This record gives sequence, C-alpha cells and structure tokens, in this order.
Amino acid sequence: MKYETVMGLEVHVELATETKLFCSCSAKFGADANENVCPACCGMPGTPPVTNKKAVELALAAALVTNSKITPVMTFDKKNYFYPDLPSGCQITQLFAPICRDGWVEIETSEGRRKITLAQIHIEEDAGKLVHDNRIGASLVDFNRTSVPLVEIVSNPDFRTAEEVVAYLEKLRVLLSFAGVSDCKMQEGSMRCDVNISVREKGSSELGTRTEIKNMNSLKAIASAIAFESGRQINALETGSEALVQETRRWDDNIGETFSMREKEGVADYRYFPNPEIMPIEIDDAWISYVRENLPEPAHDKFIRLTEKLGLSDYDSNIIIGSKNLADIFDGTLKHFDNPKEVVNWIIVELLSIAKGDNKGEDDIKIDCRKFAKIMELVDNKTINRAVAKKLLLLVWKDGIDPEQYVEENQLGMVNDTGLIEKTIKDVLVEQASSVEQYKAGNTKLFNFLVGQVMKKLAGKADPKAINELLAKHLE
Amino acid sequence: MSGLVALEDCIMQKDMPITVGSKILDGFVSPVNATIVNRLMDSGYEIAGKTAMDEFCVPSFFDESGEALDAIQVVSEGRAQYALSNDVFGKYRKQAAENGCCYIRPTYGTVSRFGLVQSVSSMDQIGVVCKNLSDGFALLSKIAGRDSKDGAMFSEENYSYAASVKDIRVGVPKSLSDFGLAENFRTVDIELEYFDVYRQVMYILCCAELGNNISRYDGIKFGYRAPDFRGINDLYTKTRSEGFGANVKLAAIMGAMVLSQDWYTPYYEKAMKIRRLIKESLRFDDYDVIAMPCQISENPYENLSLFAPAALAGLPSVSFPHNGKGIQLIANVKREDLLLSAWEVCK
Repeated sequence: MKYETVMGLEVHVELATETKLFCSCSAKFGADANENVCPACCGMPGTPPVTNKKAVELALAAALVTNSKITPVMTFDKKNYFYPDLPSGCQITQLFAPICRDGWVEIETSEGRRKITLAQIHIEEDAGKLVHDNRIGASLVDFNRTSVPLVEIVSNPDFRTAEEVVAYLEKLRVLLSFAGVSDCKMQEGSMRCDVNISVREKGSSELGTRTEIKNMNSLKAIASAIAFESGRQINALETGSEALVQETRRWDDNIGETFSMREKEGVADYRYFPNPEIMPIEIDDAWISYVRENLPEPAHDKFIRLTEKLGLSDYDSNIIIGSKNLADIFDGTLKHFDNPKEVVNWIIVELLSIAKGDNKGEDDIKIDCRKFAKIMELVDNKTINRAVAKKLLLLVWKDGIDPEQYVEENQLGMVNDTGLIEKTIKDVLVEQASSVEQYKAGNTKLFNFLVGQVMKKLAGKADPKAINELLAKHLE
Repeated sequence: MSGLVALEDCIMQKDMPITVGSKILDGFVSPVNATIVNRLMDSGYEIAGKTAMDEFCVPSFFDESGEALDAIQVVSEGRAQYALSNDVFGKYRKQAAENGCCYIRPTYGTVSRFGLVQSVSSMDQIGVVCKNLSDGFALLSKIAGRDSKDGAMFSEENYSYAASVKDIRVGVPKSLSDFGLAENFRTVDIELEYFDVYRQVMYILCCAELGNNISRYDGIKFGYRAPDFRGINDLYTKTRSEGFGANVKLAAIMGAMVLSQDWYTPYYEKAMKIRRLIKESLRFDDYDVIAMPCQISENPYENLSLFAPAALAGLPSVSFPHNGKGIQLIANVKREDLLLSAWEVCK
C-alpha cells in the first residue's frame, strides 16, 4: 500500500465525582432537565468558582496510571466563545499549565505491543446540552451537564491503524475505570473520542492535511469512521476529486460517512487567558503519594491475583478484568463465598447470559453480591440444586428477592430423602414400562429421559446426582 | 455594632433586584445574599439600601462628571454611616477624600466576593466608605475572613485591625506631590518603578477580565433580552448592543482585542509580566507605607496611575482628607494596621 494513515486522539472522560467541578451541584447522569443546577453553574454573576478537590485527585489518578509527568503548579484558564449551552460565555479549562504532560500507554494489537505517547491531560468543565424541539419550534437548553468535571487526554499523532485506536481506547477504559477515575461509558457519553486524521505517502515524514472527526459513540463507529475518512482522503489525493482542507467532520452512523461541519465564521479565536478567579493549585509530592497509595488495584495486578493466587484461567480472568464492574462483582461476591472458580463460573455462565437477555452490557450489571453469593452457598451445602439456583438468580436479578427466604417460603429445598426418591423411581419405572424395555434393549439415551421424569415428579427439587445413582441401580 | 450600611448595586441581597448600573441586568433578582450581607446583619448592622454606580464599575476615562458617586453622597450627607463598594479604578478613593470621607480598600482576597457581581476578578475587592477609619475598620473586621464559597481567598478566618505601630516610615514618591508629612513621620524619598506604565497595564488587564466577565450576559438565561431578533447571533448582538453602555462596550472591545491571537503576546501577556514586576518592585523594605495623592491631573486616565498599584498588587490602601487635599496610603499585604496607625497620626 502506498499510503499510511496518521491519527491522534482527543479523549474526553467524565470524572466520577459526586459534585460538579466548581459548585456543589450533583454531577449524576440521568436527572430531569435543569434539576442539578445552581446560580454558579447557570452562569449567574456573583458566584465565584470553588474547585472540587476530588476532581483534581481523580485527574491526578489519571495522570498516574498513564505514566504522565505531573505539573507542580497547575492553573485553570478561560476559553471564550458564545453558544447557548455555555452559560458564562466561557469554558474553564487548562491550556498554559495542565495537570500533566508526556505520559504513555502501552497497547497490544495483532502487530504486537507498542507505546502510545500522550501530549497532555487537562481538566475542564463540560458544557450543557441543547435539545431542539420541533413541536414548539425552539431550542431548549439543559444545564445539568454544565460544569461536570472532565479530563481531556490528548495523544500525539502515534496511531496508524483503526485497530491501534480501538486497542488504545479499550486500554484507557480499563486503566481509568479500575483507577476509579470514570465509569468510561461511551453510550452515556462519559467517554468520548475525537480523531484527528490525515494520510500521507508511506515513508514521508511530513503530515498531510488533517481533519477532526467527531460524534462517534461506539468503538465500532470509530473504526468505521476511520476507514471511511482515510479512504476519502486517499481517494482525494489520488484522483484530485476534491481538495483536502483542515476542518471538523461529523460522523453519521446511519449513513456511514463523515460530513463537513464547516462553519461560516472562519477560524474561531478562543481568546484563552489565565482564570483570575482560581488561584494556581500546587501539587506537591505528599498529595501525589496520597493519591497513589489510595489507587484501587489496577487491572493488571488484579489479573495476576486472579490467575496466580486464585488459580483461575487466563481466559476467565480476562473476562473479569475486562470490566471494572464485573471485577467489582467478582470481588464483592468472593467476600461472601470464598470459591473463586465457582464465583467466576456463575458470573460468566449465568449472570452474563441473564444480562445479555436484558440487553445489558458488562458495565451495566447491577446485582447484590451478598444475595448472589448466598445462591452459591445454598448449592454448595446441598440445600438446593443447580436448576433451582438458576431460577433464584433470575428472581434476584428481576425482583431482588432474598434467596434464602424465598427457598424457605416456596419449599424449594432439595429432596434428599432417598426413600422418597426411590419410591418415585419405582413409580416412574412402572408408568414408563415401554421406555424401560427399550432402554434395556440398548437404547441408552432413554436414561436421561427417565431421570427427567423422576425430577418432574419431584417438582425439580431433587439432587440430580442422587437420582442418577439410584436409577442406575434400579435398572441393573 | 450598629449603623446603617448602604450597598453599591453590585452586592447581592437575596430577592432584591440588582443592576450593577446596567440595563443588561434588567429584571434580574439576586438569587443569593452576598456573604458580607449575612455577616453585616449577623453583626447588628442594618442595610440602608442600594447606591447607584458606574456600569460594572467602569468610569469614563475621558471626562469626569462633577457629581459625586451615590455611595459617597450617602455617607457624606449622613444618610448612612457606611457604604460598601467595589473600587477597582480608584474613583471611590478619590471622591471619598474630596468629600470629607474615608475609603478603605482592604487586602485582595480578605473579603468574600460571593454575591459580588464580577467586574475585574483579579482586582475586585469590596471596600468601605466611612466617616472615620477606626469605625470603618471595625466594620471591616466583621465582614473580612475566609468564606468557603469564594475559592480565591487567604486562609485566615478573621482579621482584627488595630493601630499599633508608632514610628512609621512613609515612602513618598519624589515625582508626585508633597503632603508635608515630614512633620509627623520619618519620610523616605522613593521612586515608583514602572509608574509611567501603571495605567496602561491596569487598563489592558481590566478590559480583558471585564470583557470576559460580561460574556455571561447574552440574553439567553436572565436579564435583558432584545425584543426583536432573528436567530441566535442576532439575539446576542441586539441584546448586548442595547444592554451595555459605551464605557463597558469600549472596555469589552479592547478586552477582546488584547486577548485575541495576534495581540495576546504584545498586550495581555506583556501586561501580566509587568504586573508581576510591579508587585516585586513594591518591596516595603525601607518604608512601611506609600503616600500618594488622589489627583495629579484633570484627566481621569492619568489619575488611574495613582490607584493602579493597590489594584495590581492586591495591596491594602486607604484614602482620607489631609491638609485640604486627598491622600492615599498603601501598605504591604495584610498590613492594614500600618494604614490605621498612620491615619491616627495624621488625624
């Protein structure tokens, strides 16, 4: 191939704070429009910003897990532009002294491992949201997201393939979610990515004219957008069909193409300047150590613990550490039921398939770990059998029932009475005389059918192992 | 403590209209009580009402009208014992001394600005118009001190101000006027480095910050909105054209210019550098306070140089009448006690 694609990423990650960056409003996602607002985040005068220390600490955590150089004295700046979703007419961000610079993240692709270098990470506040309402012919503005803390992670133009981009975003998601920096959900917008992309002839050291692609909210969309855009640019260079200009392009996921967002007014001048309302913030070694010591277990360490200490397979461990939420469920359940292998099986085989049935991804699963562990315990001490346990899990998932109480109230306890099982087997052997004959004639498949018949009569509550053994004895 | 306190119309009193002297805030009602309003009331002071002001504190730099500011009149006529205001450009310091009053501009970052409408954030500082400095400082001691709602303050919870120093060394800039201070003080001839660019530096920085602070008034959320508009840009343009007065518009235009890509380095950044040099040049080593006149010219822009150092360096300053002229004293950060001591001597 004659051309290569060169890309740099700007990744916005919403910090997992309770409150906003410069006021005490809730930063929770999903509230009614303009529910989480106050005079400060609505841009009213007379309400100076007060920096959220927790947000700075989460950003520091992001700096640490990306091996970045932390700025000893960081400052906040103002970026000016008029737009109705920006109530104070400016955004508080960091240009002159961002929280850190020069980090790196290691990624792994089919080509092997390589380091992606980061130019900087800076803290900034989010803007509000415009809702265009065609019924009333007007635009409405929701300030709930205004001033929610973000970090923007700016990479150098190190990427050459969409695979690298996807691997990097996956890696960032794991690093940041395990560090508690953010839940990194692309669908909910807590992780967003803009791609700066250009193409050039292979071997050239010059960068081509770049475009910035916005509006991609899944890894799949990002990969498709990169494929389309690099194709468009290569085609333009080869055929001269269009002149490439530096511009912002919007990805349309339905059409599968990027479209120019050309603005009439020309290049914006954001008139950045140091924010005079926020004093420079000193980040000393003691503060950095405090954040470092309080970092939750990183995904990689967790992987080592799962495989080496707990004896789980690489495959299973990778599924668990693929999502901070799953890893939390694993550890939470393990606390109540100390059998890692069993807990992992229940998560991977049962919990994930129930969640999938409800269209929920790994990060959206919510389960009471104590109840989840209780189900395993009930199987382990032979109070219930596995089939009943699966039903219980579904009920915990749907209705949040208490497993132990439910078993008791609905008499789902396992039938351990050998006499009763034997009596039932005798009845079944009489009722199913023809099947028994066929079985004895060599149709061994019918054994499971007979087991099923016994289990059915016992309302599914017997220990299948006991039925197997006893039935085999009776059929001898 | 008791007394009637008038508030300049940039200080918020919950549920009361607030205009900051501008049409742009037409119909706006304060959503909060300024921290200092709560502190005043808790200390037994009564709020007398609001005083009119220059729009967003910005005076005309071309000519000065003969009439005194509302807050000065209110105190000199005795309708209130005190008036609180945000004296960025020095007009209050000048007029207080000319009208038989005193003015205290305390150290930057010692009085909460929660509930003060922003004009020039790095210089906004609530101060006191009063009849004498001892009462003025008594009031100040009730409102000064850290506020968790203002992120740019010193950490002290409280300040008390007492005249304690006896032998004060007064630095008198050679080029400026002589007050006959040598009778009462040890005077030291000093030279103010950068004096010739004080006003330019201050004007550039003020325009930049003011222009940014008034970006929030866009007609979308609150305050004045132009009645007829087509589309969002027209709404912005008309609202702001009709809502702001000439002085503020000029400042905002200058502010946009000095922050723009082409002019940031030669104007804004240079002014910031000189501001730091000015701060460093005011060393207070062989003098305790600086004495300055309140007027050196009929041109208000020329006079800005007199009031710039306190604003640029965040220093406390007071003004009062002395030997028939207005005098301004400036001390080092948090050394209000020296100003009070010097005033006691002059009195």
